[in-house]
Order: sequence, then structure tokens, then C-alpha cells
Amino acid sequence: MSSLRFSLKAAPKQRIDCSPLTPDNLADKSLTEIAAIELVVGNTTARVDALFELTDGDSNTIVFANSDSKLDFIGRNMTQGSISVQGDVGAYLGIFMEGGEITVNGDTGIYTGCEMKGGQIKVNGNAGDFVGGARPGRRNGMTGGMVIVTGNTGARTGDHMRRGFILIEGDAGDYCASRMISGTIAVLGDCGAHLGYGMKRGTILLTQMPSRGITANFNDCGSHTLAFLPLMFASFKKLDSQFANVEAFSRVQRYAGDLAGIGMGEILVKI
Amino acid sequence: MIINGVTIDETFAEAFPMKGTRLIITAHNAKWAMISAQAFTGFATSVIACGCEAGIERELDPNETPDGRHGVAILIFAMGGKGLAKQVETRAGQCVLTSPTSALFSGLDGEKDMALGQNLRFFGDGFQISKVIDGKRYWRIPVMDGEFLTEEKTGVAAAVGGGNFLVLAESQGQALAACEAAIEQMRKIPNVIMPFPGGVVRSGSKVGSKYKALNASTNDAFCPTLKGQTKSELSPEVESVMEIVIDGLTKEDIDTAMKVGIQAVCDLGAAQGIRRISAGNYGGKLGPFHFHLQEIMA
Repeated sequence: MSSLRFSLKAAPKQRIDCSPLTPDNLADKSLTEIAAIELVVGNTTARVDALFELTDGDSNTIVFANSDSKLDFIGRNMTQGSISVQGDVGAYLGIFMEGGEITVNGDTGIYTGCEMKGGQIKVNGNAGDFVGGARPGRRNGMTGGMVIVTGNTGARTGDHMRRGFILIEGDAGDYCASRMISGTIAVLGDCGAHLGYGMKRGTILLTQMPSRGITANFNDCGSHTLAFLPLMFASFKKLDSQFANVEAFSRVQRYAGDLAGIGMGEILVKI
Repeated sequence: MIINGVTIDETFAEAFPMKGTRLIITAHNAKWAMISAQAFTGFATSVIACGCEAGIERELDPNETPDGRHGVAILIFAMGGKGLAKQVETRAGQCVLTSPTSALFSGLDGEKDMALGQNLRFFGDGFQISKVIDGKRYWRIPVMDGEFLTEEKTGVAAAVGGGNFLVLAESQGQALAACEAAIEQMRKIPNVIMPFPGGVVRSGSKVGSKYKALNASTNDAFCPTLKGQTKSELSPEVESVMEIVIDGLTKEDIDTAMKVGIQAVCDLGAAQGIRRISAGNYGGKLGPFHFHLQEIMA
């Protein structure tokens, strides 16, 4: 059975809350029922069929076509199934997600994977600020799952991140891993300023020394062979990502910080 | 039943339910993986006094281990889950954590699990680091040679302990040679260990004793020097008896191991002084699993 398809009719003037359009919410609903769902658009609402051209299909595999950066909350709370997006998306992609897969062939806005608990988000493009982060005022970012970004990420990637993986094939923005509690962020490209700012625990894995170097808040712990790295790279092999092709290494330079705080985080740089 | 001149007694071995797990120890090279595994499985011949029965199942090539280094698979069994957990934790802490370059992984996914490195992590004094990879939690514990990596939990399986057979020979040397031949073949069988020294036990026991403090004592019916003093099971020409005890993850595993072991003994045959194969049969007092020798060799 083909996918259930939502094709945006026109570029929206207001932001659209797409959180009702997940495999969990649409299971057992007819196309007529789906078409009648009211979505929040700016400060009003609109029927789904007023915004999207619908093509009936399996609600467990949803496609957003002709997508736009004003489509927010795609995949909110989803626990299973898949969502594929053709085009850019807005904020809060996969917020509170517990399972399933989201693939975006475009760029994402802020708070991609915000407070997600499981599943996988793949962004074939660039991601905005606060990837895997916590909502303002909240103290736990993503607590599980994986976010893969083939391009670059914005600032504050992994802010308050607690568990899970963020894999960045391009560059990470400023304040990457800020206030990170635990988990792993791996970057194949460069990192912006203030890497690991306020980092408590967790791992930043880099394949090259950042062009701005390591901040003074991290102390050099020397070069080491770490046994967990081959296990981690082995787990990447099944991914549709450049990380699957990275030749496994276990020799790294280890920096501990942020020493302005408890200093239990680490930056590992391949040597 | 007679095979190559060796009489297979119409009797059975009795075994009992245990709890078991498989662990994988890896290290910088095969030598140090084996040293660590030997330390872990030391003093683990019998639950009677050791608290557990453990042994080396086999060596593992780097492509078979989680971290791609040389490794050793070990099996450990105890009478219950709590006892097993205690033995695993103390042995892992004293024999693997301490062993240079070692890492410790679960080798068994059971319906239930128990702590492996879950409590060892506290040795890290707050510097330990958790990593969840593919749904499994690992602990990185800083130690003086680098980092000790251990999986947090290992699976627990219902298992069978105490499968056995006795080799009755005309001389001590012939009994030993037959047992060595049997062990060589039995070590090729997965999911089993022979926990006694070299896989062979010369002091088989019976249930009970004339001394109240002991719940097991020498199996006098099979002691050749007592042939004239006790109700002996031995004919005049038998001068030495040795036993092979097998613990396994399933009854079928022990069946297979006993069959290849007994066959190896029988291949030497009467010409090499092997007269009989018998088994530790305690009249049903010991356990619910019965391994009938003639059925196994049929």
C-alpha cells in the first residue's frame, strides 16, 4: 500500500501546527476524517484539506510533499511508523517523539528533536538551533533516540541533552553541547565557538580538532585508546549516514570539562 | 550394552536445575584474555563449597567479540539467581576488573537479566561514564591502565548442573588417558563446561556422610581400595575410576556432550584398559534431570 500523502497547496502565510498528522493519530481514520481535522494556523484553525492535497494511503507511512519552513511540530509524540518530508520544515520537528522514523529532505527550523525520547530523525539538509535541546525553561533535552544531520546544525546543539545520539556530518554551530547532561554528539566537520559551554557530562566526538581549538574550560587528559569507541562505530554501520563509512578509531585526545561546572564531560578528538 | 568391549551400565546420571550465564572477556591479546578468564573461573569446581561452578567454554576470535579483540567465553552456574549474581559480581570485580587491558561483556540474552558491571561502576568513584549503545548500557570505569569497559547487565538462563559419567579402567593411567580423550571432544560442544580441574574429578561424592557436619562424602562404592571393605560397585580388574561432570545451558547440550565424551572413551576401548562406563546415580535424591547412559549411546 502506498503512503498517505499531504501535499501543501500553497506556501502558508502563518505557521501551521502539524502535530495531529502522525501515524499514531491517524491510525484507523478514513481519508474523509483526516481531511476534516482542524489544524491550528496562526491564531485560527483550518481543515487539513484546505491546506493540503491528500492522497489516500497507509497512515503508518506519511509523506509531506511540497513542504515549507512554516510547518511546525511534525511528528510530535509519534511512537511508531515513518514520516517523510519533501522540503523544509519548521520548528519542533519530532518533539516528544518516542519511536519511528522521520526523514526530512530539506532544512529544519529550531528545536529539531526537542525532548525526544526514542526513534530516529534524519535531516538531509541543515538543522536550526537547539537540535535535541530542551524547551525554554526545561532542564532535560532529548533523552533517547538519534538525530542525524547531513548538513550543518545551528547554535546550542544538544542543549540540556540527557541521552541519545546527535550525529552531524557537517559543522556544528556555536555553543554545541551547551549545558549537556549526558549522551553523545559526534561531528565530522568543524565546531563553532564555545564548544561544550556549561557541559556537565556526556561525550563530544570529533574527527578533527575544531578550527577554534578547545576552550580553556576543558583540560587536556592526554591521548588514549578507548574500548567503547569500536562498539559505537559498529553500531553506526547500519545507519544511512556518512558515519557508517567512518573508519572505526579508538585513539583519541581526551579533554575534560566544562571545569567551570562539575567538569565530567569530555571532548574526544581523533588522533 | 557393550561398545568396543566397554560395558555401558544400565543406569543414569542425575542432575539438578541451576541458573547460568555466559560472559565474554576480551583483552589486548589472547594470552591476557585467557589469564583473566582463568582467574574468573578459578575455585569454581562445585557448588558444594565454591558457591558456583564455572569454566571456559571456548576462545573467541576478534571477529566474534563485541570490541573486536581476542576473547574467551565462560559459563558460570549457581543454584539460584541471587547466588549467581553475587558470584558474578565478586569474581568480575576481583578477577576481570583487576586484569590488565580486560573488558567484560554479556554473552547471553536471557528472559531475565542481572547486574554485571552495574555495581562495579562505583569503583570509578564518580568518574565512571555510562554509554548506551544499541540499547545496551555500558560502563567506562577509569583504571590505571586506561579504561575498564563493562556491560551493565547480563542475561540469566535456566540451566542444568551435574550431568556426569564415570570411567572405570584397569589402571589410573588408562582412566586418565580416557578422560583426557573425552574432554578434548567435549570441549568442542557449545553451551557446556566441565568445571573440575582439567574437566576431570577423581573424588566423586555420594550424598550424606557418617559425620553430621558433612552433606557429601567419598563415593565409597566406586573407590577401588575399598573393594573388600564396602558394598563395592567395582569388579576385581577395575583399579581406577574417574568422573566427568558437565554443566550446561540445556539438558540437550549435556546429552550431546555426554555422548561425544563416552564415545571418545569407548573408542579407546577394552584394548586400552577401559572396562565400564557408569554414572552418578543417587536414587533420585539429587535432581530431576536423568541422563540414561544407554539411551544416550543408542
